[in-house]
Amino acid sequence: MTSDESLSSGTSRRLTPADLHNVRFTRGSMLHPGYSDEEVDRLLNRVGEELGRVYAEKAELRDRVHALQAQVDGVEVPAPPSEQAVRLLATAQQTADNYVAEAEDFSRQITSDARVQYEEQLRQARETAGAILQAAHEAAGRTTGEAGPRGPESGLSTQELEDQVAYLKAFAQACRVQLRSYLEALLIDVESEWGRADPAVLPKAAARTPVPRGKQPAALNVARAMPMDDGARLTEDSGRADGDGGAAGSPNAEVVKQGR
Amino acid sequence: MDIPAMRANFAKAAAAGDEAPLYFYSHLFLSHPETRSMFPVSMAHQRDRLFAALGEVVSRVDDLDSLVPILQQLGRDHRKFGALPAHYPAVGASLLATLEHFDEDWNDHLAQTWAAAYKVVATVMIDAAEEAADQPPWWEAEVVAHERRTVDVAVLRLRPEPALDYLPGDSISLETQARPRLWRYYSPANAPRPDGTIEIHVKAHDGGPVSGALVRQVGVGDVLRLGPPIGHLAFDAESDRDLLLVAGGTGLAPVKAVVDQIARNGPARRVDLFVGARVEEQLYDRPELSRLEREHGWLTVTFAVSDDKESELEHGDIGDVVQRHGPWRSRDAYVVGPAAMVDDTVARLSGQGLPRERIRTEVFAPSRPGPSVDGEVTE
Repeated sequence: MTSDESLSSGTSRRLTPADLHNVRFTRGSMLHPGYSDEEVDRLLNRVGEELGRVYAEKAELRDRVHALQAQVDGVEVPAPPSEQAVRLLATAQQTADNYVAEAEDFSRQITSDARVQYEEQLRQARETAGAILQAAHEAAGRTTGEAGPRGPESGLSTQELEDQVAYLKAFAQACRVQLRSYLEALLIDVESEWGRADPAVLPKAAARTPVPRGKQPAALNVARAMPMDDGARLTEDSGRADGDGGAAGSPNAEVVKQGR
Repeated sequence: MDIPAMRANFAKAAAAGDEAPLYFYSHLFLSHPETRSMFPVSMAHQRDRLFAALGEVVSRVDDLDSLVPILQQLGRDHRKFGALPAHYPAVGASLLATLEHFDEDWNDHLAQTWAAAYKVVATVMIDAAEEAADQPPWWEAEVVAHERRTVDVAVLRLRPEPALDYLPGDSISLETQARPRLWRYYSPANAPRPDGTIEIHVKAHDGGPVSGALVRQVGVGDVLRLGPPIGHLAFDAESDRDLLLVAGGTGLAPVKAVVDQIARNGPARRVDLFVGARVEEQLYDRPELSRLEREHGWLTVTFAVSDDKESELEHGDIGDVVQRHGPWRSRDAYVVGPAAMVDDTVARLSGQGLPRERIRTEVFAPSRPGPSVDGEVTE
């Protein structure tokens, strides 16, 4: 055999079609005409092995193709949603958005009304307290003026006036505390009203129980994800110095804000 | 890319108003239901923003140099919403379906050019998101302190996990589980601290879902989500000029961070801080600021009220008060607060001869859920 020693000597290398083309068997002798039996048998063995391997590989590949095909078939290429479905979902979403917007508007109105009321009452209370204080000072001035020469008595009335001033200060403080808690109560109402702004629940919202934190019913979700940016509509007082909340702004006015 | 054809086509969808984004999102949610949970329940504001943003992108698509940084920022920022690369083709398909729906002359050429343009946009965003993969998409932050300072202002202290690095003047978006998927921007009121905690000042706006919840519902132990910081009021730590800081309302937060930065890291510079409010009660951080003033010789704090006859503080609009104490020609100025207050103060300072480029400003207005294509985070 002339082509390649390794062809006959080992099985480490795979048999290729070119190998077979190049096979040249050793001629026999006069005694044994034809090819060398031994070489032919060896080659037939190898060809047999190789064919077996090829078939096995082919079967394995066929299985893989089937498996992959099944995978591909299993994947649903999502059909584009029908026009009808899109319209339906769009309407539902819009309805939900409108409810949320209404609830938010309601909350904004109530909160700003409450704030106006709170500030007005605080202002009045302060004015009243100021006036009382003023009157007390004047009275004190008069009393000490009149009672000046009388000695001990004047000391007493100053003491009384100081008590009165202290009382009035405390009264003003109490007013402030009370007004504050009044406003807080209003705000809590607003929060809970707003929380129950789910369309289904809205008409029954008359019962005003504040919802404890962390225990809101699932129905709250509609209202929780309010769309509005915080106070997106600036109320008329937003230009004042105490301004706006946590919003961070733009890098600097000339780049961003002045364009708007 | 046939840009004129794209613009003509987009104009048709834009002319349909709310209908177009409504169609887009309905299409997206029906074909990929898993994307619905990334959005808030009410989509009204989302819709406005989507088409505005798309319009911007379309109008700039032939100016990629200016578009790319914006898209990169958007791509990084979208990680906090849970956006994954797989979501981008889904959005692209629904976008094309929408554009087709509103254009009777839709054809293959338009489909190809839009698909190509969208691919560019999506690739930039996805790549930017992947480059940011060494940072978490969002930070969990426990509320470790919650103080109601006035009827509608609260000061919160948060502890982000892992530590969140930022610069004084940066903004950080946050989300509370009380209002899922509604992100709002706040400015830390301190320079980064060794313990990693961040102080934020929140004013509840009437009808504001997030600010109201942060002031009245959120409490100690609750966990918020924070997004990556965005640079805004860039504090120039290199400058050695003395400082003039002017704050209205919760605009105090970023300038207080500047004070904190100097207190922690120096070098000491003379700092005059003016804080304005309408009435004395609204000066929600007064004791803390007075304490800082006592501790640091270089710091002078002046409070002013614009509408409080009883108060013994300085009276007048904060810009007016600042002007009375001026001139401030040699200073670096930082002015933060409502738009009217910022404009007024800047005009007065400029009038006194302080060069405009040395005045840095930030307008505090109601927050947007996400930055606009210009990077703005307020309305």
